[in-house]
Amino acid sequence: MNDPPVPPVLSARGLVREERGRAKTGWTLGPLDLEVAAGECLALVGPNGAGKTTLLRCLAGLRTPSRGVVAHRGRNFAELSRRELARRIAYVPQVRPANVPLTVREAVELGRYPHLSPFQLAPSAADHRAVDHALAAAGIEAFAERPLDELSGGERQMAWIAAALAQEAEVLILDEPTTHLDPRHQRDVAGLLHRLHRENGATVLLATHDLDLAGLLGDRVLALRSGRIVSLGPPREVLAADSLAALFDAPFRAEPEGRAARLSLAP
Amino acid sequence: MRPLRPRSALALLGLLWLAVALGAPLLGSQPIGLSDVLRGDPTALAIFWQLRLPRVLLALLAGGALATAGLGFQTLFRNPLAEPYTLGVAGGAALGAVLALRVSEGLGALGLPLVALASFAGALGATALVAGVAMHRKESETGTLLLAGIGVSLSTSALILFVQYLADATQTFRMVRWMMGGLSVVGYREVLWLLPWTLLGLAALLAARWDLNLLLAGEEIAASRGVDVPRLRLRILIATSLMIGALVAVAGPIGFVGLMVPHALRRLVGHDHLILAPACLLGGGAFLALADLAARTVMAPADLPVGVLTALLGGPFFLLLLAVRRGRG
Repeated sequence: MNDPPVPPVLSARGLVREERGRAKTGWTLGPLDLEVAAGECLALVGPNGAGKTTLLRCLAGLRTPSRGVVAHRGRNFAELSRRELARRIAYVPQVRPANVPLTVREAVELGRYPHLSPFQLAPSAADHRAVDHALAAAGIEAFAERPLDELSGGERQMAWIAAALAQEAEVLILDEPTTHLDPRHQRDVAGLLHRLHRENGATVLLATHDLDLAGLLGDRVLALRSGRIVSLGPPREVLAADSLAALFDAPFRAEPEGRAARLSLAP
Repeated sequence: MRPLRPRSALALLGLLWLAVALGAPLLGSQPIGLSDVLRGDPTALAIFWQLRLPRVLLALLAGGALATAGLGFQTLFRNPLAEPYTLGVAGGAALGAVLALRVSEGLGALGLPLVALASFAGALGATALVAGVAMHRKESETGTLLLAGIGVSLSTSALILFVQYLADATQTFRMVRWMMGGLSVVGYREVLWLLPWTLLGLAALLAARWDLNLLLAGEEIAASRGVDVPRLRLRILIATSLMIGALVAVAGPIGFVGLMVPHALRRLVGHDHLILAPACLLGGGAFLALADLAARTVMAPADLPVGVLTALLGGPFFLLLLAVRRGRG
């Protein structure tokens, strides 16, 4: 599992992204190299401000690298239009917008945007199939006709994931998909991602602060700190007590085999 | 059921538009009968064809342009209070036009093109300034945008006052009268002039309907679905600014139509820009033509500038929107 036999779906070479903050002098992501294999699930962990979101945005083509190359199956992002990129990579941002005057189905339908022509008056039969399929995969057909703003945070998150699924992209990137959700909805989201990855062979990248989720879903876990990759490997190594303690500057104690180490609350 | 309702509402708006186009020229300080027009009564014909129809047609186009531009700004900036007037775009166009009026004295036939060019320049300049300032500061674009609009509006008002101060009394009177936003001195030339710019603006919105619908979900979602947001912004801003520039050149700055009409129509036809944009063109036109009808009849024989009337309605509407929005959180 550590040596993917297929060529990487996503690759970054010498990726650097300089962010100019307003108050601070700015900070830099990278330089870093990364390869994600087809059908792999890569989980990103790291302290707040480590650059997880910036890295995911670069890998989704939403931010242009200051230096280096990001590519999908060997095609440099710089050669692809936003639309072409969206047919390859779907992204679910961390911030879920409020006051969106759409129903769930309308929001999911808009996931078809990269496949729609501007001269098309209505979505095609294929679009409708993709939308129905995405709603079913997320298990949210029951409230498909309800306005997004009437839903709970967890239901809304499922809707936005379904909208990304309707995009029918090869890679699904999610930024903290379970943050701010109650345990049941965390489980729903985790279950959906697990099914997509294990049963449908989807390539999934996610950033999360839920270390158990990272261990459960991730084939590999990437630990990021101050814009650099600290470690990248199987969960049992990256999520071991000593590596997590170094990553987060906090005491962690070991858990039984197959579980992420746990934050130690006792002094 | 759902897909039918907005479409039938749009069809009803179309009927209303036609009814206003045919009915409004018959009414005024001196009502004329449709039968008189059809019978070929020379006075009725002259009033209908030469005096009132061009004015009604211009109101229909101008109102449509204002509402369509307002819709474009509101979606683009995700801000319910955005419209050409509040964002200072109309003010920028007015400044350009007033400058042109000041220097165009005696230019005769060159008058309209010069005023129009100056309005375009003013509208585009104001838009660029407001959008530039708002986008430079990333956080809470909503507030920054309106503040930038207020800043530009205040500056253009001050500059317009300065130009007026420098002008002689006759010129000043013309400028002040024109700044009130009115449709009184109008012929078919102005109608034909405004038509292509209005259609261009509508076409730009319709061509970007999926993009604009996606923008309702926020920029990051839109971008991750494949919308090239900066390019979309540029396209829509240029198209709407040209539309407003063209309009201000012939009718002066008319406020708040672009604010009130899209809000009312969203409740009627929903949020899909494929329906909403033409609904704004029809509904905004009908609204302004009716407002102009009221403006030329309520104080007849005096002819109130329609911009005064829309501003009287629009100010309270703006405050109401602000209160409702704050209330929601």
